[in-house]
Amino acid sequence: MATVVSPRAERHVDRLERIWAERPGLIGWLTTTDHKRIGLLYFFTSLAFFGAGGVEALLIRTQLIGPNQHLLSPQAYDEVFTMHGVTMIFLFVIPMTTGAFGNYLVPLMIGSRDMAFPRMNALSYWIFLGSGLFMYYALVSGHAPNSGWFDYVPLASKQYDPGNNIDFYGYGLIFNGIASTAAAINFIVTIFKLRAPGMSLNRMPLFCYAFLAVSFALLFALPALSVACLFLELDRQLGFHFYDAGFGGDPLLWQNLFWIFGHPEVYIIILPAFGIATSIIPTFVHRRMVWFPLVALAEIMVAFLGFGVWVHHMFAVGFATLTTVYFAAASLIIVIPSGIQLFAWITTILTGTPEFETPLLWIIGFIIFFIIGGLSGITVAAIPFDQQVTDSYYIVAHFHFVIFGAAVFPILGGMYYWFPKVTGRMYHEGVGKLSFYLTFVGTFVTFFPMHILGIMGMPRRVYTYPSGMGWTFLNLLQSIGAYVLTAGLVLIVANLVVSYFRGEPAGNDPFGGDTLEWSTTSPPPPYNYPVIPTISSAYAMWDKEDRERDNRRLDRGEGLIQLGHETPASTVQDAEYDEILAMPPHSPWPPVTALSLLGMFAMLLLHHYAIAAGFVVVGLLMLFAWHDKEVSV
Amino acid sequence: MSEQTRAAMQGVTRSMAAQSGEAVTEVVRHQRAQPSGWWGMVLFLCAEVTLFGTLLATYFYLDFDASRWPPAGIAPPKVVLPLVATGVLVTTSIPMALAARFARAGRRSPTAWMIVLALVVQCCYLAAQVLLFRHDLLQFKPSQSAYGSIYFTILAAHHAHVVLGILLGLAVLWHLTLRGLTNYWLIGVRGVALYWHVVNALAVLVVLTQLSPSL
Repeated sequence: MATVVSPRAERHVDRLERIWAERPGLIGWLTTTDHKRIGLLYFFTSLAFFGAGGVEALLIRTQLIGPNQHLLSPQAYDEVFTMHGVTMIFLFVIPMTTGAFGNYLVPLMIGSRDMAFPRMNALSYWIFLGSGLFMYYALVSGHAPNSGWFDYVPLASKQYDPGNNIDFYGYGLIFNGIASTAAAINFIVTIFKLRAPGMSLNRMPLFCYAFLAVSFALLFALPALSVACLFLELDRQLGFHFYDAGFGGDPLLWQNLFWIFGHPEVYIIILPAFGIATSIIPTFVHRRMVWFPLVALAEIMVAFLGFGVWVHHMFAVGFATLTTVYFAAASLIIVIPSGIQLFAWITTILTGTPEFETPLLWIIGFIIFFIIGGLSGITVAAIPFDQQVTDSYYIVAHFHFVIFGAAVFPILGGMYYWFPKVTGRMYHEGVGKLSFYLTFVGTFVTFFPMHILGIMGMPRRVYTYPSGMGWTFLNLLQSIGAYVLTAGLVLIVANLVVSYFRGEPAGNDPFGGDTLEWSTTSPPPPYNYPVIPTISSAYAMWDKEDRERDNRRLDRGEGLIQLGHETPASTVQDAEYDEILAMPPHSPWPPVTALSLLGMFAMLLLHHYAIAAGFVVVGLLMLFAWHDKEVSV
Repeated sequence: MSEQTRAAMQGVTRSMAAQSGEAVTEVVRHQRAQPSGWWGMVLFLCAEVTLFGTLLATYFYLDFDASRWPPAGIAPPKVVLPLVATGVLVTTSIPMALAARFARAGRRSPTAWMIVLALVVQCCYLAAQVLLFRHDLLQFKPSQSAYGSIYFTILAAHHAHVVLGILLGLAVLWHLTLRGLTNYWLIGVRGVALYWHVVNALAVLVVLTQLSPSL
């Protein structure tokens, strides 16, 4: 919030406080449509799933700490590594980035008071929670998915996996996909329509470009996964034959559909990390990003090119050379937009005056790991090499450097960076740095030796290995690395929890941040900004004159928009003032609708198709009540 | 208010407060860009088109894999009835486009009647398609071969979209009748019209795919 400078301004703020007041207590959280509260719900839920996925990772590393270990049975090991992958991809990274960071920050960065469709936003969260609980019920009940996170048929077919395990996966991912599709639509419309008047596309922060690119990628990638899972369940439940070669089907159809989704998914995971990096770097090196238009274009190009490379996950299945060569070449082209961004980050840091505070350290770590993961990515784009290391630990090393090192490090850095904004408190800098060094060393020690093990021939997904293979020492080293990494992560949580209660007050802008969210109070009020902000560049917070003008406008009561639960909408390209929208207030229907969907999927799993249809009807009836109080002027 | 703000806000309306035909027309006259709801529907339809693209691509993927398509024992589909039914469905784009046009002009009654007309045709189409679907099921089963699996899945997916479109039409009609024409439901009418244009276009692609062995 702009500083309140006079009693008159205070009166304006008081009025907004009354209009945007949230319901208190648990009911308030259950029925909220406030993007910040929904962002926090996403944050804590995905953090809990991160904890669960982390425990699974530790079980894996403990099992492999030495040869011939039997902490987990082969069956339990299958379930644990499958749930580790499914959790980290679908229940942690995507909801943490788009759900938590995106929800909390995108409306703030574009000067809006909410997302374009607040109730649909709440629905996305509740569906995500429902799908997560649905899949974790499988683990608790001993029927967790057990064919790996990419779930290849025929291993995942009814014939070889007759229990409910795979059905939890198939239905769970369709369920989860509904949440992500709704969220993607919401982000795109929010960015298109709710930017503060004056924030033309060339004045939009790079963070928002990254989220725009991710949302488009989600929108076009998810249908392939949903169709693949639909076919899988039709095969398993009703005896269809999409993947059954004996009846004219094709197991490779699953692989194609899965990776048509799966490779864009990699960029869906990593693009928000790019966005976070482009927010943190300018703040801590005290200069604007170099090559702004090129970086914005590169973010979009990465998302676009990601749709043309899926066969590089399938080089070992025996496609014609011409096909694989095309996909190898397409994969190498992605080096160009990735390289543009990489050199832009490095150049910005080198030409600025960097302060190596905790958030920037995480970004440095991210850059190092992205280079390592990127280089190993180039090696597996070489077809003969890929065929040699397919299904070995080399691949596990590559994608953990990309997905953990490159995608999760900025998330952790972002937690530190925006912690003062969200809580109003500062974290402990010394403990923050220590947590970074521990996590950095832990990550390197855990994942780097996997390259060597892979080249030495250790296959992935083996539940144990005999002694005398030459794999023992490196496995021991990796497991020690995993414990160090865990210590680093626990230290982050401890630092943030203690700082929440005992941290120094942060003020509005403790770091001299570059984007608009730093102009409002910490934590931001429910209406985000008392006056709709004036925008002259993509680094709105550094345009001091604009911020002072906002203070004067608040004093004069100009541009407040305080006749109701309202936010301005603007034109898509130039962000000219277009209309003032009445936004829907809190509602009980999103969680209840999500509950009916959960009921539907549970009944499908139990083969009670009539009751499942009943839940659909109930869900549709709720949509009739959905539009209540759409006008609150 | 400064001159700059005044100029920027000239003609800006509280669009959702438009609760009558006249007020809706006024909003339409001042609006410089498509509303959020319209964008939401466009993006939702992008996802739906991608979904159908995946289904249709699967059909031809399995077709190219097969030595005989449809497999032995299954007759190629009959052409006339599905083509006629699809042709009839496609014509509903006309009343839906007119409904959107009348709604923009603030004319509630003709809007509602156009939606009713479209709904009648769409329901007839759905009834005919359900009969055809049942007839096909008596000839061969989806569990008989990959051909049957993809054939019935594509048709069921499209029929489900027709059902959804009818429900959307009914919902808009319900609110138009109950609450009159508001800006909120103008966006609803435009969204449903857009939905039907896309579902009708998909109907053409689906029927051409379905009939491809006989064409």
